Amino acid sequence: MTDPKTLWAAVSRAALNWKLLVPLAVALELFNRLSPASSSTLLTEVAILALFATSLNLLMSFGHMVSFGHAAYFGLGAYGFTLAVTRGGLAPEMALLVGPLAAALGGLVFGALCVRLTEIYFAMLTLACAQITYTVLFQWYDVTGGDTGITGFMIPRLGLSETGYASLVLGLVALALLALWMIVKSPLGLMIRAVGQDRARAEALGLAARRVQLVAFVIAAFFAGIAGTLYAVLHGSAFPDYAGLGLTLDGLIMVVLGGLNSFAGGIWGAVIYEMLSNFVPKFIHQWELVLGLLLLGICLAMPHGFAGLLARLGWRGGKGEK
Amino acid sequence: MAPILSARHIRKSYGAFVALRDISLDIPHGERHALIGPNGAGKSTFIACLAGQLSGVEGQMLFKDENVAALPPAALARRGIGRTFQISRAFLQMTVLENLMAAHVIASGRWAALSRRIYGERIDRAHEMLVTVGLADRARDRVADLSLGDRKRLEFGMALVGEPELLLLDEPTAGMSIKERHGLMDMVAERLASEGRTLLFVEHDIDVVMKIAQRVTVMVRGAVLAVGTPEEIAANDEVQAVYLGGGH
Ligand SMILES: Nc1ncnc2c1ncn2[C@@H]1O[C@H](COP(=O)(O)OP(=O)(O)OP(=O)(O)O)[C@@H](O)[C@H]1O
Ligand SMILES: [Mg+2]
Repeated sequence: MTDPKTLWAAVSRAALNWKLLVPLAVALELFNRLSPASSSTLLTEVAILALFATSLNLLMSFGHMVSFGHAAYFGLGAYGFTLAVTRGGLAPEMALLVGPLAAALGGLVFGALCVRLTEIYFAMLTLACAQITYTVLFQWYDVTGGDTGITGFMIPRLGLSETGYASLVLGLVALALLALWMIVKSPLGLMIRAVGQDRARAEALGLAARRVQLVAFVIAAFFAGIAGTLYAVLHGSAFPDYAGLGLTLDGLIMVVLGGLNSFAGGIWGAVIYEMLSNFVPKFIHQWELVLGLLLLGICLAMPHGFAGLLARLGWRGGKGEK
Repeated sequence: MAPILSARHIRKSYGAFVALRDISLDIPHGERHALIGPNGAGKSTFIACLAGQLSGVEGQMLFKDENVAALPPAALARRGIGRTFQISRAFLQMTVLENLMAAHVIASGRWAALSRRIYGERIDRAHEMLVTVGLADRARDRVADLSLGDRKRLEFGMALVGEPELLLLDEPTAGMSIKERHGLMDMVAERLASEGRTLLFVEHDIDVVMKIAQRVTVMVRGAVLAVGTPEEIAANDEVQAVYLGGGH
């Protein structure tokens, strides 16, 4: 018979492997400090996309809600921040808070609509909401600048050097990922997983499944909004493409590459995808072909992606669902 | 005393097919009531109606004198109707213990909690329940790796966590050996009796029905054929005819 204390440890197995994480953080920061500015910018982008993919992964791996419109919240974060500076007259440092809040608000409004349906119909609604967002950003010239976007309204990176901004983003993304991890391991996270795995079972136990899904949706939108905000600051600009289908697909691909059903899947996926998309085209022209073959291989041979592969090799570090 | 559950003229169709035609049934507080009948009689459909899981159900349903016919499943569960499913449904990718904890979190109403305090508060009770349903040494196993019988036990434990006043069990012992069946249902009966709770269960094993139920309803083709004590039902010629000639 197992004693309850050990049992509790099994449920609340939220302990992070600090022995692994601290050296990793130090290594990343060292790399940032020692490498050229272009590498720091790449590092910044990877970190931002890792956060974006992980926010999508919260919905996909844990809530089993496939969103075809997650870039909308990245875009709302970027534009929320940008418009707070250009229209609201806020200092960029203050406007940093507005981006994620705008994304969360968008998530609340669109999410309330989307969670009324499930599965493919849910996915289609998320797509519709994202297309609406994109169209508004693209067409509403007076406010959003339309297809030319908004540029030149601030010094990129808040005036920090490439290296300095990379450090800031690494720190913020680490905090955001930690917060997402705590959410997954919290009672709320357990509820998100429960609804994802068997909605009728959860409802029969007395859970208002839609409300849980809406909360998950808003949380995911909020963190995607942080990513979008950091991205707008990096380039000192906002474009409609930030909310476009391209980025949505990138996010989906990252999650699948990195590994469904694993917390770390979004992070691995962003790293692998960005590395590949930066380096493969230098050697091979048909980058899309390589990506297509890679996805084919993953879906057929290792459906749990890179994180699943690591787990099979005995490295238990980032497994979320098990 | 008014019955805890009173279903009146319940009708339910799947398209053109009428699955339940005018079912009325009263269940007094604290009764153990069995629902039997051949395959396809509509037993599971009736259970699903009572749990609020079907749309397009006609008729009235009074639970503790409140008309609850139009309420969604979660609202019914919060009012005290718990259920298990014929094909057991637990959260497959979670461990056994996580499943029980999920039931505890839902029962506590603290579904939006970020603090993990409730895990600590409820762990002893969760552990007790694991012992009760005989899964203490499987706490850390994933549900997907459990036998069907063990999944049924787990689901039963999860339903009990919410302390439902009316428990609906759809074939709780399917997939178990005869000995396990009697063991589980004896435990269920004892536990519910000591807490004064009401039980409505679907069961194919007539021996179990005879032993556990205080009253039995026999359903055939979407209608109630007979209601009575186990002895009355056993002696009923019509029921005999259905069971002997009814291809069961
Ligand atoms: N979702 C559905 N759509 C269409 N027909 C259905 C549906 N669910 C059940 N039925 C039909 O309704 C009838 C009653 O089914 P139900 O599952 O309630 O029977 P049951 O008495 O529980 O049978 P069993 O003993 O096999 O579990 C059956 O003929 C079944 O085929
Ligand atoms: Mg049935």
